[in-house]
Amino acid sequence: MRGRRASLGQRAYLVANGAILFFLLAPLAVVAVFALNPTPFIQFPPVGVTTRWFEKFFASAEFMGSLRLSLEVAAAVVVLATLIGAAAALALARGGLPGTRFLTALFLAPLMLPAILTGLALFQALQLAGFGRPTWALVVGHTLVAVPYVMRTTLAVLSDFDRRIEEAAASLGAPPLRVFFEVTLPIIRPGVIAGSIFAFIVSFDQFPISLFLVTPSRETLPVVLFNYMKFDLDGAIAAASMVSILLALAVVIVIDRLVGLRATMRF
Amino acid sequence: MSTPSRVSPIAWLVAPAGLFFLLFFLVPFGVMALFSVLSGNPVQRPNVTLTGRHYDRMLGDSLYIESLWSTLKIGAVTTAAALLLGYPLAHWLARMRSRGGHALLLMAVIAPMLTGIVVRTFAWITILSDRGVINATLTGLGLLLAPLPLMYNELGTVIALVHIYVPFMVLTLAGVIGRIDERLEEAAMSLGASPMRAFLEVTLPLSLPGILAGSLLVFALAISAYVTPYLMGGQQVLTLPMLIYQQVAATFNLAFAGALGVVLLAVSLILIVAYNHVLGRVARREDLA
Repeated sequence: MRGRRASLGQRAYLVANGAILFFLLAPLAVVAVFALNPTPFIQFPPVGVTTRWFEKFFASAEFMGSLRLSLEVAAAVVVLATLIGAAAALALARGGLPGTRFLTALFLAPLMLPAILTGLALFQALQLAGFGRPTWALVVGHTLVAVPYVMRTTLAVLSDFDRRIEEAAASLGAPPLRVFFEVTLPIIRPGVIAGSIFAFIVSFDQFPISLFLVTPSRETLPVVLFNYMKFDLDGAIAAASMVSILLALAVVIVIDRLVGLRATMRF
Repeated sequence: MSTPSRVSPIAWLVAPAGLFFLLFFLVPFGVMALFSVLSGNPVQRPNVTLTGRHYDRMLGDSLYIESLWSTLKIGAVTTAAALLLGYPLAHWLARMRSRGGHALLLMAVIAPMLTGIVVRTFAWITILSDRGVINATLTGLGLLLAPLPLMYNELGTVIALVHIYVPFMVLTLAGVIGRIDERLEEAAMSLGASPMRAFLEVTLPLSLPGILAGSLLVFALAISAYVTPYLMGGQQVLTLPMLIYQQVAATFNLAFAGALGVVLLAVSLILIVAYNHVLGRVARREDLA
Protein backbone atom coordinates (compact mmCIF):
# COMPACT_ATOMS: atom_id res chain seq x y z
CA MET A 1 0.00 0.00 0.00
CA ARG A 2 2.64 2.49 0.99
CA GLY A 3 4.85 1.56 -1.90
CA ARG A 4 2.01 2.20 -4.32
CA ARG A 5 1.27 5.59 -2.83
CA ALA A 6 4.90 6.56 -2.99
CA SER A 7 5.12 5.62 -6.64
CA LEU A 8 2.00 7.65 -7.40
CA GLY A 9 3.56 10.63 -5.64
CA GLN A 10 6.74 9.98 -7.55
CA ARG A 11 4.83 10.07 -10.80
CA ALA A 12 3.07 13.33 -9.91
CA TYR A 13 6.47 14.81 -9.03
CA LEU A 14 7.92 13.86 -12.39
CA VAL A 15 4.85 15.04 -14.33
CA ALA A 16 4.93 18.41 -12.54
CA ASN A 17 8.63 18.81 -13.25
CA GLY A 18 8.15 17.79 -16.87
CA ALA A 19 5.45 20.44 -17.25
CA ILE A 20 7.70 23.11 -15.71
CA LEU A 21 10.57 22.13 -18.00
CA PHE A 22 8.17 22.39 -20.94
CA PHE A 23 7.17 25.90 -19.81
CA LEU A 24 10.85 26.81 -19.67
CA LEU A 25 11.93 25.39 -23.02
CA ALA A 26 8.86 25.43 -25.31
CA PRO A 27 9.01 29.20 -25.93
CA LEU A 28 12.52 28.83 -27.32
CA ALA A 29 11.36 26.06 -29.67
CA VAL A 30 8.31 28.08 -30.76
CA VAL A 31 10.60 30.83 -32.01
CA ALA A 32 12.11 28.35 -34.48
CA VAL A 33 8.63 27.60 -35.87
CA PHE A 34 8.00 31.28 -36.56
CA ALA A 35 11.46 31.83 -38.01
CA LEU A 36 10.64 29.24 -40.70
CA ASN A 37 6.98 30.16 -41.29
CA PRO A 38 6.54 32.19 -44.53
CA THR A 39 3.63 34.47 -43.44
CA PRO A 40 4.74 38.03 -42.65
CA PHE A 41 2.77 38.12 -39.40
CA ILE A 42 2.26 35.78 -36.48
CA GLN A 43 0.29 32.79 -37.75
CA PHE A 44 -0.20 29.39 -36.21
CA PRO A 45 -0.13 26.59 -37.25
CA PRO A 46 2.66 27.36 -39.74
CA VAL A 47 1.76 27.18 -43.44
CA GLY A 48 5.14 26.17 -44.83
CA VAL A 49 8.88 26.37 -44.52
CA THR A 50 11.03 29.20 -45.79
CA THR A 51 14.46 30.66 -45.25
CA ARG A 52 13.40 34.13 -46.42
CA TRP A 53 13.45 35.58 -42.88
CA PHE A 54 17.00 34.48 -42.32
CA GLU A 55 17.85 35.97 -45.72
CA LYS A 56 16.09 39.21 -44.77
CA PHE A 57 17.95 39.31 -41.47
CA PHE A 58 21.36 38.69 -43.00
CA ALA A 59 20.71 41.05 -45.94
CA SER A 60 19.43 43.96 -43.84
CA ALA A 61 21.99 46.71 -43.37
CA GLU A 62 20.31 47.78 -40.14
CA PHE A 63 20.38 44.30 -38.57
CA MET A 64 23.90 43.55 -39.78
CA GLY A 65 25.26 46.92 -38.64
CA SER A 66 23.82 46.38 -35.18
CA LEU A 67 24.97 42.75 -35.07
CA ARG A 68 28.47 43.94 -35.88
CA LEU A 69 28.38 46.64 -33.21
CA SER A 70 27.08 44.10 -30.67
CA LEU A 71 29.88 41.67 -31.51
CA GLU A 72 32.55 44.40 -31.38
CA VAL A 73 31.32 45.68 -28.03
CA ALA A 74 31.09 42.12 -26.69
CA ALA A 75 34.67 41.40 -27.81
CA ALA A 76 35.96 44.48 -26.01
CA VAL A 77 33.90 43.60 -22.92
CA VAL A 78 35.36 40.08 -22.87
CA VAL A 79 38.91 41.44 -22.73
CA LEU A 80 38.24 44.18 -20.20
CA ALA A 81 35.92 42.23 -17.89
CA THR A 82 38.14 39.13 -17.91
CA LEU A 83 41.27 41.10 -17.08
CA ILE A 84 39.90 43.17 -14.23
CA GLY A 85 37.43 40.54 -12.99
CA ALA A 86 39.89 37.65 -12.79
CA ALA A 87 42.56 39.88 -11.25
CA ALA A 88 40.13 41.11 -8.62
CA ALA A 89 38.96 37.56 -7.86
CA LEU A 90 42.58 36.50 -7.26
CA ALA A 91 43.18 39.48 -5.01
CA LEU A 92 40.04 38.79 -3.01
CA ALA A 93 40.74 35.08 -2.59
CA ARG A 94 44.49 35.28 -2.00
CA GLY A 95 45.43 38.85 -1.11
CA GLY A 96 44.41 38.86 2.54
CA LEU A 97 42.81 42.25 1.99
CA PRO A 98 40.83 43.96 4.70
CA GLY A 99 37.25 44.66 3.60
CA THR A 100 37.05 41.60 1.36
CA ARG A 101 33.35 41.18 2.09
CA PHE A 102 32.54 44.74 1.13
CA LEU A 103 34.55 44.53 -2.09
CA THR A 104 32.98 41.22 -3.09
CA ALA A 105 29.51 42.68 -2.52
CA LEU A 106 30.46 45.76 -4.56
CA PHE A 107 31.74 43.75 -7.53
CA LEU A 108 28.71 41.45 -7.52
CA ALA A 109 26.22 44.31 -7.05
CA PRO A 110 25.51 44.94 -10.77
CA LEU A 111 23.96 41.45 -10.93
CA MET A 112 21.12 42.41 -8.63
CA LEU A 113 20.85 46.18 -8.92
CA PRO A 114 18.38 47.17 -11.63
CA ALA A 115 20.45 47.41 -14.81
CA ILE A 116 18.17 50.20 -15.97
CA LEU A 117 19.50 52.27 -13.04
CA THR A 118 23.11 51.40 -13.86
CA GLY A 119 22.36 52.68 -17.36
CA LEU A 120 20.65 55.83 -16.11
CA ALA A 121 23.43 56.61 -13.64
CA LEU A 122 26.13 56.11 -16.25
CA PHE A 123 24.21 58.23 -18.75
CA GLN A 124 23.82 61.06 -16.22
CA ALA A 125 27.49 60.95 -15.24
CA LEU A 126 28.51 61.08 -18.91
CA GLN A 127 26.17 64.03 -19.46
CA LEU A 128 27.64 65.86 -16.50
CA ALA A 129 31.17 65.22 -17.71
CA GLY A 130 30.23 66.32 -21.23
CA PHE A 131 31.11 63.03 -22.92
CA GLY A 132 27.76 62.42 -24.61
CA ARG A 133 27.18 58.80 -25.61
CA PRO A 134 30.45 57.41 -27.03
CA THR A 135 30.87 53.75 -28.03
CA TRP A 136 33.32 53.18 -25.18
CA ALA A 137 30.51 53.96 -22.77
CA LEU A 138 28.66 50.88 -24.06
CA VAL A 139 31.77 48.82 -23.37
CA VAL A 140 32.05 50.31 -19.88
CA GLY A 141 28.38 49.73 -19.07
CA HIS A 142 28.42 46.13 -20.27
CA THR A 143 31.68 45.47 -18.42
CA LEU A 144 29.99 46.46 -15.16
CA VAL A 145 27.44 43.64 -15.56
CA ALA A 146 29.98 41.16 -16.99
CA VAL A 147 32.58 41.46 -14.22
CA PRO A 148 30.39 39.67 -11.63
CA TYR A 149 30.21 36.58 -13.87
CA VAL A 150 33.97 36.48 -14.39
CA MET A 151 34.52 36.95 -10.67
CA ARG A 152 32.13 34.19 -9.74
CA THR A 153 33.55 31.57 -12.07
CA THR A 154 37.12 32.47 -11.05
CA LEU A 155 36.30 32.48 -7.34
CA ALA A 156 34.54 29.12 -7.73
CA VAL A 157 37.69 27.53 -9.17
CA LEU A 158 39.90 29.27 -6.62
CA SER A 159 37.86 28.04 -3.67
CA ASP A 160 37.85 24.49 -5.00
CA PHE A 161 41.55 24.04 -5.47
CA ASP A 162 43.93 22.92 -2.78
CA ARG A 163 46.02 25.81 -1.49
CA ARG A 164 48.66 23.36 -0.32
CA ILE A 165 49.80 23.01 -3.94
CA GLU A 166 50.77 26.69 -3.91
CA GLU A 167 52.29 26.36 -0.45
CA ALA A 168 54.32 23.35 -1.59
CA ALA A 169 55.73 25.31 -4.54
CA ALA A 170 56.58 28.21 -2.24
CA SER A 171 58.21 25.98 0.34
CA LEU A 172 60.37 24.46 -2.40
CA GLY A 173 61.76 27.94 -2.98
CA ALA A 174 59.63 29.34 -5.80
CA PRO A 175 59.18 33.11 -5.49
CA PRO A 176 55.53 34.34 -5.30
CA LEU A 177 55.43 35.47 -8.92
CA ARG A 178 56.69 32.12 -10.14
CA VAL A 179 54.13 30.30 -7.97
CA PHE A 180 51.49 32.49 -9.53
CA PHE A 181 52.47 31.91 -13.15
CA GLU A 182 53.37 28.23 -12.88
CA VAL A 183 50.83 26.94 -10.36
CA THR A 184 47.91 29.29 -9.75
CA LEU A 185 47.31 30.56 -13.27
CA PRO A 186 47.13 27.17 -15.04
CA ILE A 187 44.71 25.89 -12.40
CA ILE A 188 42.29 28.83 -12.56
CA ARG A 189 42.42 29.07 -16.37
CA PRO A 190 39.18 27.12 -17.05
CA GLY A 191 37.28 29.30 -14.57
CA VAL A 192 38.62 32.44 -16.20
CA ILE A 193 37.73 31.19 -19.69
CA ALA A 194 34.22 30.22 -18.56
CA GLY A 195 33.87 33.69 -17.06
CA SER A 196 34.94 35.34 -20.30
CA ILE A 197 32.35 33.33 -22.24
CA PHE A 198 29.69 34.48 -19.80
CA ALA A 199 30.98 38.03 -20.26
CA PHE A 200 30.49 37.67 -24.00
CA ILE A 201 26.89 36.47 -23.83
CA VAL A 202 25.95 38.95 -21.08
CA SER A 203 27.21 41.81 -23.23
CA PHE A 204 25.65 40.43 -26.42
CA ASP A 205 22.22 40.18 -24.72
CA GLN A 206 22.47 43.35 -22.64
CA PHE A 207 19.52 45.67 -23.11
CA PRO A 208 18.66 48.16 -20.33
CA ILE A 209 22.10 49.76 -20.09
CA SER A 210 22.43 49.95 -23.87
CA LEU A 211 19.06 51.68 -24.06
CA PHE A 212 20.55 54.78 -22.40
CA LEU A 213 23.87 54.72 -24.23
CA VAL A 214 23.02 54.06 -27.88
CA THR A 215 22.43 56.79 -30.46
CA PRO A 216 19.96 56.40 -33.35
CA SER A 217 22.78 55.80 -35.81
CA ARG A 218 24.59 53.31 -33.57
CA GLU A 219 22.38 50.73 -31.90
CA THR A 220 23.13 47.26 -30.58
CA LEU A 221 21.17 44.24 -31.85
CA PRO A 222 18.79 43.91 -28.85
CA VAL A 223 17.89 47.62 -29.12
CA VAL A 224 17.24 47.31 -32.87
CA LEU A 225 15.10 44.21 -32.25
CA PHE A 226 13.15 46.00 -29.53
CA ASN A 227 12.46 49.04 -31.70
CA TYR A 228 11.51 46.82 -34.65
CA MET A 229 9.12 44.82 -32.46
CA LYS A 230 7.20 47.95 -31.48
CA PHE A 231 5.91 48.18 -35.05
CA ASP A 232 6.43 44.90 -36.83
CA LEU A 233 6.44 41.27 -35.76
CA ASP A 234 7.49 39.50 -38.97
CA GLY A 235 9.74 36.47 -39.20
CA ALA A 236 12.92 38.57 -39.33
CA ILE A 237 12.58 39.05 -35.58
CA ALA A 238 12.16 35.30 -35.15
CA ALA A 239 15.22 34.64 -37.32
CA ALA A 240 17.30 37.13 -35.31
CA SER A 241 16.00 35.52 -32.12
CA MET A 242 17.08 32.08 -33.34
CA VAL A 243 20.62 33.39 -33.76
CA SER A 244 20.55 34.56 -30.15
CA ILE A 245 19.05 31.29 -28.84
CA LEU A 246 21.59 29.11 -30.67
CA LEU A 247 24.38 31.27 -29.29
CA ALA A 248 23.05 30.78 -25.74
CA LEU A 249 22.88 27.00 -26.28
CA ALA A 250 26.44 26.93 -27.59
CA VAL A 251 27.64 28.93 -24.58
CA VAL A 252 25.95 26.56 -22.12
CA ILE A 253 27.47 23.49 -23.75
CA VAL A 254 30.96 24.97 -23.99
CA ILE A 255 30.98 26.12 -20.36
CA ASP A 256 29.71 22.74 -19.19
CA ARG A 257 32.57 21.03 -21.03
CA LEU A 258 35.13 23.50 -19.69
CA VAL A 259 34.43 23.69 -15.97
CA GLY A 260 30.99 22.19 -15.43
CA LEU A 261 28.01 24.50 -15.18
CA ARG A 262 27.54 23.56 -11.56
CA ALA A 263 30.65 25.34 -10.32
CA THR A 264 29.80 28.56 -12.12
CA MET A 265 26.17 28.95 -11.18
CA ARG A 266 26.06 29.17 -7.41
CA PHE A 267 23.75 31.91 -6.30
CA MET B 1 37.58 32.08 2.97
CA SER B 2 40.69 31.90 5.15
CA THR B 3 42.37 35.21 5.81
CA PRO B 4 46.17 35.18 5.84
CA SER B 5 47.63 37.42 8.52
CA ARG B 6 49.61 39.56 6.08
CA VAL B 7 48.40 41.43 3.02
CA SER B 8 50.23 39.86 0.09
CA PRO B 9 51.34 41.69 -3.10
CA ILE B 10 48.53 39.85 -4.92
CA ALA B 11 46.14 42.24 -3.18
CA TRP B 12 47.18 44.94 -5.67
CA LEU B 13 45.35 43.03 -8.40
CA VAL B 14 42.10 44.39 -6.99
CA ALA B 15 43.13 47.93 -7.99
CA PRO B 16 41.95 47.97 -11.65
CA ALA B 17 38.50 46.60 -10.83
CA GLY B 18 38.27 48.84 -7.76
CA LEU B 19 39.11 51.93 -9.78
CA PHE B 20 36.75 50.91 -12.58
CA PHE B 21 33.83 50.39 -10.19
CA LEU B 22 34.60 53.61 -8.35
CA LEU B 23 34.65 55.67 -11.56
CA PHE B 24 31.87 54.02 -13.52
CA PHE B 25 29.59 52.58 -10.84
CA LEU B 26 29.81 54.40 -7.49
CA VAL B 27 30.39 57.90 -8.88
CA PRO B 28 27.55 57.64 -11.45
CA PHE B 29 25.10 56.51 -8.76
CA GLY B 30 26.27 59.48 -6.70
CA VAL B 31 25.63 61.71 -9.71
CA MET B 32 22.14 60.23 -10.06
CA ALA B 33 21.37 61.00 -6.42
CA LEU B 34 22.80 64.50 -6.87
CA PHE B 35 20.71 65.17 -9.98
CA SER B 36 17.60 64.21 -8.02
CA VAL B 37 18.01 67.16 -5.65
CA LEU B 38 19.12 69.80 -8.18
CA SER B 39 16.77 72.42 -9.60
CA GLY B 40 17.95 71.82 -13.16
CA ASN B 41 20.60 70.34 -15.42
CA PRO B 42 23.95 71.85 -14.31
CA VAL B 43 25.38 71.20 -17.78
CA GLN B 44 22.93 73.63 -19.35
CA ARG B 45 22.47 76.06 -16.49
CA PRO B 46 25.46 76.85 -14.28
CA ASN B 47 23.53 78.35 -11.33
CA VAL B 48 21.41 75.47 -10.08
CA THR B 49 20.21 75.15 -6.51
CA LEU B 50 19.35 72.31 -4.20
CA THR B 51 15.68 71.43 -4.13
CA GLY B 52 13.30 68.75 -2.92
CA ARG B 53 10.68 69.54 -5.53
CA HIS B 54 11.25 66.41 -7.64
CA TYR B 55 10.39 64.24 -4.67
CA ASP B 56 7.42 66.52 -3.85
CA ARG B 57 6.19 66.14 -7.43
CA MET B 58 6.43 62.36 -7.15
CA LEU B 59 4.51 62.27 -3.88
CA GLY B 60 1.96 64.81 -5.10
CA ASP B 61 1.06 63.04 -8.35
CA SER B 62 -0.98 59.88 -8.04
CA LEU B 63 0.47 58.60 -11.36
CA TYR B 64 3.84 57.92 -9.74
CA ILE B 65 2.44 56.38 -6.57
CA GLU B 66 0.17 54.18 -8.66
CA SER B 67 2.99 53.05 -10.93
CA LEU B 68 5.19 52.29 -7.92
CA TRP B 69 2.31 50.27 -6.50
CA SER B 70 1.72 48.46 -9.81
CA THR B 71 5.47 47.74 -10.13
CA LEU B 72 5.53 46.19 -6.65
CA LYS B 73 2.36 44.23 -7.34
CA ILE B 74 3.71 42.75 -10.58
CA GLY B 75 6.94 41.95 -8.73
CA ALA B 76 5.05 40.16 -5.95
CA VAL B 77 2.84 38.09 -8.26
CA THR B 78 5.85 37.18 -10.44
CA THR B 79 7.80 36.14 -7.35
CA ALA B 80 5.00 33.94 -6.02
CA ALA B 81 4.51 32.21 -9.38
CA ALA B 82 8.27 31.77 -9.86
CA LEU B 83 8.47 30.16 -6.43
CA LEU B 84 5.64 27.73 -7.20
CA LEU B 85 7.23 26.68 -10.50
CA GLY B 86 10.82 26.92 -9.32
CA TYR B 87 10.60 24.84 -6.16
CA PRO B 88 9.82 21.41 -7.71
CA LEU B 89 12.46 21.93 -10.39
CA ALA B 90 15.06 23.04 -7.83
CA HIS B 91 14.27 20.02 -5.66
CA TRP B 92 14.64 17.70 -8.64
CA LEU B 93 17.92 19.36 -9.60
CA ALA B 94 19.33 19.21 -6.06
CA ARG B 95 18.37 15.53 -5.56
CA MET B 96 19.31 14.26 -9.04
CA ARG B 97 21.81 11.44 -8.54
CA SER B 98 22.81 10.83 -12.16
CA ARG B 99 25.63 13.15 -13.21
CA GLY B 100 24.51 13.28 -16.84
CA GLY B 101 20.91 13.98 -15.87
CA HIS B 102 22.03 16.74 -13.54
CA ALA B 103 24.13 18.37 -16.25
CA LEU B 104 21.28 18.23 -18.79
CA LEU B 105 18.76 19.66 -16.36
CA LEU B 106 21.15 22.46 -15.45
CA MET B 107 21.60 23.26 -19.15
CA ALA B 108 17.82 23.37 -19.58
CA VAL B 109 17.59 25.91 -16.76
CA ILE B 110 20.54 28.07 -17.80
CA ALA B 111 20.05 28.17 -21.60
CA PRO B 112 16.84 30.26 -21.35
CA MET B 113 18.61 32.48 -18.81
CA LEU B 114 21.35 33.28 -21.32
CA THR B 115 18.88 34.10 -24.08
CA GLY B 116 18.25 37.83 -24.35
CA ILE B 117 15.24 39.38 -22.61
CA VAL B 118 14.02 40.92 -25.88
CA VAL B 119 14.15 37.52 -27.56
CA ARG B 120 12.29 35.75 -24.76
CA THR B 121 9.63 38.45 -24.70
CA PHE B 122 9.19 37.98 -28.44
CA ALA B 123 8.75 34.25 -27.86
CA TRP B 124 5.89 34.98 -25.46
CA ILE B 125 4.26 37.36 -27.93
CA THR B 126 4.15 34.55 -30.48
CA ILE B 127 2.51 32.31 -27.89
CA LEU B 128 0.06 34.69 -26.20
CA SER B 129 -1.03 37.19 -28.87
CA ASP B 130 -4.46 37.03 -30.53
CA ARG B 131 -3.08 35.02 -33.48
CA GLY B 132 -0.50 33.30 -31.29
CA VAL B 133 -0.02 29.63 -30.60
CA ILE B 134 -2.56 29.28 -27.78
CA ASN B 135 -5.38 31.37 -29.25
CA ALA B 136 -4.90 30.00 -32.79
CA THR B 137 -4.95 26.43 -31.55
CA LEU B 138 -8.04 26.90 -29.38
CA THR B 139 -10.00 28.77 -32.05
CA GLY B 140 -8.83 26.25 -34.66
CA LEU B 141 -10.23 23.41 -32.58
CA GLY B 142 -13.49 25.31 -32.25
CA LEU B 143 -13.10 25.67 -28.49
CA LEU B 144 -13.06 29.46 -28.69
CA LEU B 145 -15.02 31.97 -30.73
CA ALA B 146 -12.94 35.01 -29.88
CA PRO B 147 -9.29 35.01 -28.78
CA LEU B 148 -8.61 35.15 -25.06
CA PRO B 149 -6.98 38.39 -23.82
CA LEU B 150 -3.69 36.74 -22.85
CA MET B 151 -1.44 39.71 -23.49
CA TYR B 152 -1.43 43.50 -23.56
CA ASN B 153 -2.35 43.26 -19.90
CA GLU B 154 -0.85 42.33 -16.53
CA LEU B 155 -1.43 38.61 -17.11
CA GLY B 156 0.81 38.47 -20.18
CA THR B 157 3.42 40.64 -18.47
CA VAL B 158 3.56 38.34 -15.46
CA ILE B 159 3.69 35.11 -17.53
CA ALA B 160 6.68 36.36 -19.51
CA LEU B 161 8.39 37.75 -16.40
CA VAL B 162 7.99 34.42 -14.59
CA HIS B 163 9.61 32.65 -17.52
CA ILE B 164 12.48 35.11 -17.51
CA TYR B 165 13.19 34.94 -13.76
CA VAL B 166 12.33 31.34 -12.82
CA PRO B 167 15.94 30.18 -13.51
CA PHE B 168 17.23 32.57 -10.81
CA MET B 169 14.75 31.07 -8.36
CA VAL B 170 15.72 27.51 -9.31
CA LEU B 171 19.46 28.13 -8.94
CA THR B 172 19.12 29.88 -5.57
CA LEU B 173 16.79 27.21 -4.19
CA ALA B 174 18.82 24.28 -5.56
CA GLY B 175 21.88 25.67 -3.79
CA VAL B 176 20.09 25.64 -0.43
CA ILE B 177 18.19 22.34 -0.91
CA GLY B 178 21.41 20.65 -2.01
CA ARG B 179 22.95 21.49 1.39
CA ILE B 180 20.18 19.79 3.33
CA ASP B 181 21.29 16.36 4.50
CA GLU B 182 19.13 13.78 2.72
CA ARG B 183 19.53 11.42 5.66
CA LEU B 184 17.24 13.66 7.75
CA GLU B 185 14.39 12.93 5.36
CA GLU B 186 15.27 9.23 5.30
CA ALA B 187 15.28 9.15 9.10
CA ALA B 188 11.78 10.69 9.17
CA MET B 189 10.54 8.07 6.71
CA SER B 190 12.13 5.20 8.60
CA LEU B 191 10.19 6.43 11.64
CA GLY B 192 6.99 6.00 9.63
CA ALA B 193 6.42 9.36 7.95
CA SER B 194 5.12 9.29 4.38
CA PRO B 195 7.43 10.86 1.76
CA MET B 196 5.04 13.83 1.55
CA ARG B 197 5.06 14.31 5.30
CA ALA B 198 8.83 13.90 5.49
CA PHE B 199 9.14 16.61 2.85
CA LEU B 200 6.66 18.96 4.52
CA GLU B 201 8.12 18.58 8.01
CA VAL B 202 11.82 18.21 7.29
CA THR B 203 12.99 19.46 3.91
CA LEU B 204 10.55 22.32 3.41
CA PRO B 205 11.28 24.08 6.74
CA LEU B 206 15.03 23.61 6.24
CA SER B 207 14.78 25.18 2.77
CA LEU B 208 13.03 28.32 4.05
CA PRO B 209 16.20 30.45 3.74
CA GLY B 210 16.38 29.42 0.07
CA ILE B 211 12.74 30.34 -0.44
CA LEU B 212 13.35 33.73 1.14
CA ALA B 213 16.59 34.42 -0.77
CA GLY B 214 15.20 33.27 -4.12
CA SER B 215 12.07 35.36 -3.62
CA LEU B 216 14.09 38.47 -2.75
CA LEU B 217 16.26 37.98 -5.85
CA VAL B 218 13.36 37.45 -8.23
CA PHE B 219 11.44 40.36 -6.73
CA ALA B 220 14.45 42.67 -7.13
CA LEU B 221 14.87 41.61 -10.76
CA ALA B 222 11.16 41.73 -11.63
CA ILE B 223 10.58 45.28 -10.35
CA SER B 224 13.39 46.55 -12.58
CA ALA B 225 12.06 44.98 -15.80
CA TYR B 226 11.51 47.38 -18.69
CA VAL B 227 11.23 45.46 -21.97
CA THR B 228 8.65 42.91 -20.88
CA PRO B 229 6.07 45.26 -19.32
CA TYR B 230 6.54 47.57 -22.30
CA LEU B 231 5.89 44.94 -24.98
CA MET B 232 3.56 42.58 -23.10
CA GLY B 233 1.59 45.15 -21.14
CA GLY B 234 0.36 47.21 -24.07
CA GLN B 235 -0.80 50.51 -22.64
CA GLN B 236 -2.29 48.75 -19.62
CA VAL B 237 0.86 48.37 -17.54
CA LEU B 238 2.98 51.31 -16.43
CA THR B 239 5.93 50.44 -14.23
CA LEU B 240 8.55 52.60 -12.55
CA PRO B 241 11.38 51.60 -14.94
CA MET B 242 9.16 52.62 -17.88
CA LEU B 243 8.52 56.02 -16.30
CA ILE B 244 12.23 56.48 -15.63
CA TYR B 245 13.19 55.88 -19.24
CA GLN B 246 10.31 58.07 -20.42
CA GLN B 247 11.65 60.99 -18.35
CA VAL B 248 14.98 60.73 -20.17
CA ALA B 249 13.80 59.87 -23.69
CA ALA B 250 10.69 62.04 -23.96
CA THR B 251 11.31 65.06 -21.76
CA PHE B 252 15.05 64.82 -20.99
CA ASN B 253 14.23 65.59 -17.36
CA LEU B 254 17.36 64.10 -15.80
CA ALA B 255 16.58 65.47 -12.35
CA PHE B 256 13.16 63.90 -12.12
CA ALA B 257 14.45 60.64 -13.67
CA GLY B 258 17.10 60.70 -10.96
CA ALA B 259 14.48 61.09 -8.23
CA LEU B 260 12.46 58.15 -9.59
CA GLY B 261 15.72 56.20 -9.87
CA VAL B 262 16.63 56.89 -6.25
CA VAL B 263 13.27 55.47 -5.13
CA LEU B 264 13.77 52.28 -7.18
CA LEU B 265 17.37 52.08 -5.97
CA ALA B 266 16.30 52.35 -2.33
CA VAL B 267 13.80 49.49 -2.72
CA SER B 268 16.41 47.35 -4.53
CA LEU B 269 19.14 48.00 -1.97
CA ILE B 270 16.89 46.89 0.88
CA LEU B 271 16.13 43.67 -1.03
CA ILE B 272 19.80 43.01 -1.85
CA VAL B 273 20.99 43.54 1.71
CA ALA B 274 18.27 41.17 2.94
CA TYR B 275 19.22 38.58 0.29
CA ASN B 276 22.91 38.67 1.25
CA HIS B 277 22.00 38.48 4.92
CA VAL B 278 19.83 35.39 4.42
CA LEU B 279 22.38 33.53 2.27
CA GLY B 280 25.22 34.59 4.58
CA ARG B 281 23.39 32.97 7.49
CA VAL B 282 22.94 29.74 5.52
CA ALA B 283 26.66 29.63 4.75
CA ARG B 284 27.61 30.31 8.38
CA ARG B 285 25.20 27.68 9.67
CA GLU B 286 26.95 25.18 7.44
CA ASP B 287 30.39 26.25 8.65
CA LEU B 288 29.34 25.63 12.25
CA ALA B 289 27.79 22.22 11.53
